[in-house]
Amino acid sequence: MPSCKDITEHGSDYLDRHMPWWKRPGYWMHLLVCVHCRRYIEQLRLTIETIGRSPDAAPPVVKTEEVQQIVQQLKQSAKKPANKPRDI
Amino acid sequence: MANPPLPSDDELIPRLLASDENAYTQVVAAYHGLMVHLARAIVGDAIADEVAQEAWVAVLRALPKFERRSSLKTWILRIVSNTAKSRLRHESRTVNLGDALEETPIVDPSRFKANAHWANPPAMWHADTPDALLASTELRRCIHEALDALPPLQRAAVTLRDMQGLNMEDICKVLEVSESNGRVLLHRARSRIQQAIEELEEK
Ligand SMILES: [Zn+2]
Repeated sequence: MPSCKDITEHGSDYLDRHMPWWKRPGYWMHLLVCVHCRRYIEQLRLTIETIGRSPDAAPPVVKTEEVQQIVQQLKQSAKKPANKPRDI
Repeated sequence: MANPPLPSDDELIPRLLASDENAYTQVVAAYHGLMVHLARAIVGDAIADEVAQEAWVAVLRALPKFERRSSLKTWILRIVSNTAKSRLRHESRTVNLGDALEETPIVDPSRFKANAHWANPPAMWHADTPDALLASTELRRCIHEALDALPPLQRAAVTLRDMQGLNMEDICKVLEVSESNGRVLLHRARSRIQQAIEELEEK
């Protein structure tokens, strides 16, 4: 069975279901018997949800004028293939 | 602001290649916000808009060579990520992009006993829902500061996964990291935010 430290190292893999199938039963058994790790995982789950709802989670709103401005720039650069932008 | 639904990649790509202005407008309206969001995660607020605009030019330039091994959206975000990373490299010589391979443990080792079981286990939090947590101005600020303090690729991973909702496979394509490194980046980022909330909640 994994240790408490192992539980914390792989919490996201467990919650995101990225954990290999053969590791899941041991992980799950540990959570069944360890109240501290159950709390740890619950708090990780809450953290993930909270990140998703925090003000930082919303992509910036792009105004119509800004869209138009970018489109005009792109039209210009499409017309002038000689004017190469900096390499990325 | 609700945009009309975006046509499929099959429909959009030929129109973009033909410099169709409507198609330009549709993709810019659909993706520019996400691009600036990702660019902010990697290079910070100050030059994120500039990076996103630079990425658009690169997108149109590279489009004829796009091999369709991912969606248009994933491919565009990958160009944003590359543009942002190269800006970071230009601007400072000592950037630690993601510290994916950094050996520091997820939880402070002093909180475990010698047998790797809890010595100092997590305490109850005052709040048990995201809304209850986010009701506190102090907590919102603390999450913002913890995000700000993350290494760029960790911040990018958490932005793409927990804020924009991309799947892990696409995130790894966007950031050009292996699946296992992508998962490490994400878990480190989340753990640091969890730690920041914990410090506040346990006061
Ligand atoms: Zn445990």
